[in-house]
Amino acid sequence: MMLKAAEYKDPQHNLKTEKFLSAEKLYLPLSQHTGKPSKVCVQENQIVQKNQIIAESNGFISASLHAPIKAKVSKIKKHFHPKFGKTKTIVLSAQPEHKPDGHPNQTAGLDQFRKDQLLTAIAKAGIVGMGGAGFPAQVKLNPPKGIDTLIINGCECEPYLASDCRLMIENLKGIFKGIEIISKLVAPEKIIFAVEENKKEAIKKINFFLHRKKNNSKIELRVLKSRYPQGGEKQLIYSLTKRKISGKMLPFDLGCIVNNVATCFAVYEAVYFNQPLTRRIVTFCGDALVEPKNLWVNIGTTLAELIEKEIIKFKKNPKKIIFGGPMMGDAVTNLANPILKTTSGVLFLEKLPKKEEESACIRCGRCVNYCPINLIPLEYAKMVKKEKYQELKDYYIKDCIECGCCSYVCPAQIPILDYIKLGKEKIK
Amino acid sequence: MTPQLKLTVSGSPHLKDKAKTSYIMRDVIIGLLPAVGAAIYFFGILAAILILNCVVTALLTEWIINRIRKQKNTIYDFSAAVTGILVALILPPSIAWYGATIGVVFAILVGKHLFGGLGSNIFNPALLGRAFLAAAYPRMLTTYTKPGQFDTITEATPLMLQKFSHKLTSLDKLFLGNVSGSLGETSAICLLVGGLYLLLRKSAGWRIPVSLLISLTLVATAGYLINPILGTPVFHLLAGGLLLGTFFMATDPATTPVTAKGRFIFGATCGILIMVIRYFSNLPEGVMYSILFCNALVPLINRYTKPKAFGRKERE
Repeated sequence: MMLKAAEYKDPQHNLKTEKFLSAEKLYLPLSQHTGKPSKVCVQENQIVQKNQIIAESNGFISASLHAPIKAKVSKIKKHFHPKFGKTKTIVLSAQPEHKPDGHPNQTAGLDQFRKDQLLTAIAKAGIVGMGGAGFPAQVKLNPPKGIDTLIINGCECEPYLASDCRLMIENLKGIFKGIEIISKLVAPEKIIFAVEENKKEAIKKINFFLHRKKNNSKIELRVLKSRYPQGGEKQLIYSLTKRKISGKMLPFDLGCIVNNVATCFAVYEAVYFNQPLTRRIVTFCGDALVEPKNLWVNIGTTLAELIEKEIIKFKKNPKKIIFGGPMMGDAVTNLANPILKTTSGVLFLEKLPKKEEESACIRCGRCVNYCPINLIPLEYAKMVKKEKYQELKDYYIKDCIECGCCSYVCPAQIPILDYIKLGKEKIK
Repeated sequence: MTPQLKLTVSGSPHLKDKAKTSYIMRDVIIGLLPAVGAAIYFFGILAAILILNCVVTALLTEWIINRIRKQKNTIYDFSAAVTGILVALILPPSIAWYGATIGVVFAILVGKHLFGGLGSNIFNPALLGRAFLAAAYPRMLTTYTKPGQFDTITEATPLMLQKFSHKLTSLDKLFLGNVSGSLGETSAICLLVGGLYLLLRKSAGWRIPVSLLISLTLVATAGYLINPILGTPVFHLLAGGLLLGTFFMATDPATTPVTAKGRFIFGATCGILIMVIRYFSNLPEGVMYSILFCNALVPLINRYTKPKAFGRKERE
């Protein structure tokens, strides 16, 4: 059973995306993706041009990193990272640029590209899965097995977030061009565009787009009920195709591939405009802000600068700041944390749920009921408390996707997911 | 100017639904209120005193044990109050006050805390308390009073009448509760209302009650077809402690399996066992022993119904 959590999507769903691409300092961590951190290929004090590569992909599963603006590399040092504490980061200081901001010229049409050229273009653009996992796109889009179903993920099931929704409303054409490119790469029999029903405007636009083009498009729009964690890769594949991707499989093992809408858009920009992934839409919201905003920002922009320039304004001082959604996002310690390629939203919360003290598990089974992976979360909490780490494996702890449903529903207020993460760490 | 912030850092998720242990227990108490009302209506002031005695004893015992074990006070999770009310409702109305007190103390002390407290207990504490009394003071638990009588006039319960005299009590009497029996088990309608409330509030899972009632109905139907004197299925559904046990004790989360499949197995086994005891044993009623027996099976059921992780083929 999937969770029907409170959505808090209003009014972010209906806020037109604004732009803030003029941050003066950018902090670009070398680890913004799954896999090996990128390798720095610039030196301190060097001037880099807009879109110039500043760190290279370092291995098969890795991604490159680009300068979002013309800038001076002011430092390469350890800096705050929303997920990993402090990691190696390239710090850029903006330099005046005379060229007007805007898209570079469009490159050749899709027909002129071969498959390997497309993959190179995507790899060169440093594209990673933008839904949150950050898996390098050139690896994902070159599956070792045949794909029959390409799934485009526009679910955005985390509460509060609206960046994918806005992208679908405002840049749908680009997303469809991106889908076309991906479809050329993986040659699926069927393309499913999945959107949750709470995104009414986006659904209308997609429908309009699909029906207006009287081509025999393979794309099928599927409107799903709004449930959490349906936007998760495994859950989405199951909701759409009833195929179950186990903990030791990857989606292509069962002929599926899932791409977030923002990734599709990034692929489009990379192929058509030679535009590397240097910016994205981020939803800024929460009760501590004067008003929520959807913003195009450069990767590497810090919260501190957004506050200083009054791009986002505090109504009250937030007590918690979360990178990502409230279910899976990471709480950060300060405003120096930068926006990453995978940051779809930042929440500023003033009113926190009252911290209830953890009490004894009454074995009610709610966590079992809501676990999308059919695990028995309460046992993990018990085993970790008793330090019986070896037993965790028998209960497939590694299959846990850390969606947080177990902690969310626990009447005894046990932070089950915290115990699971600790347990995973212990048996590594 | 960037403000100085004092930020909380904690693991995800950062949202939480409203569920609380005390809300679940509170729902159980609300669900029991119709039965409590019926008990007082049919058995008068005696019933009220007995219930009060049990609840106060339960809370006091819990509080003292908390003190001895140097734990936080757990009275406000209401689980002790639930146990107190349940013990009262499964005792005969005429039981001596000290009998009830002993039963409750045993339920909380041995049934719950000796096993490690709420959630760690293997057996339903209330039923264990009653089982203890049944073993230690059998006479106390076999003397039942006629409803509406202030003097103790004993009367056999419907299940005793059926079993030992082959007399069937009329169904409307069973339905309303105007029969002899334990305090809270007599009125089927009140128990159904309370039970439905629990299920609708999702404070008790539906799988155990549903599977229990279905399996019991099946066995009772087969029995009735073979020998009508054994009683109709409807009689068996309404008589004795069945509904009270089904909705309020077989659904006790701590002492039942955690998986969906496990809960079906638990409920079905329980239903069959109840009928086996009612048909073949020397006892008129089998709800208590069936649930206790199934409680003991829970670790085994949990182990064999461990669900396969999403997409995994084999168990290991």
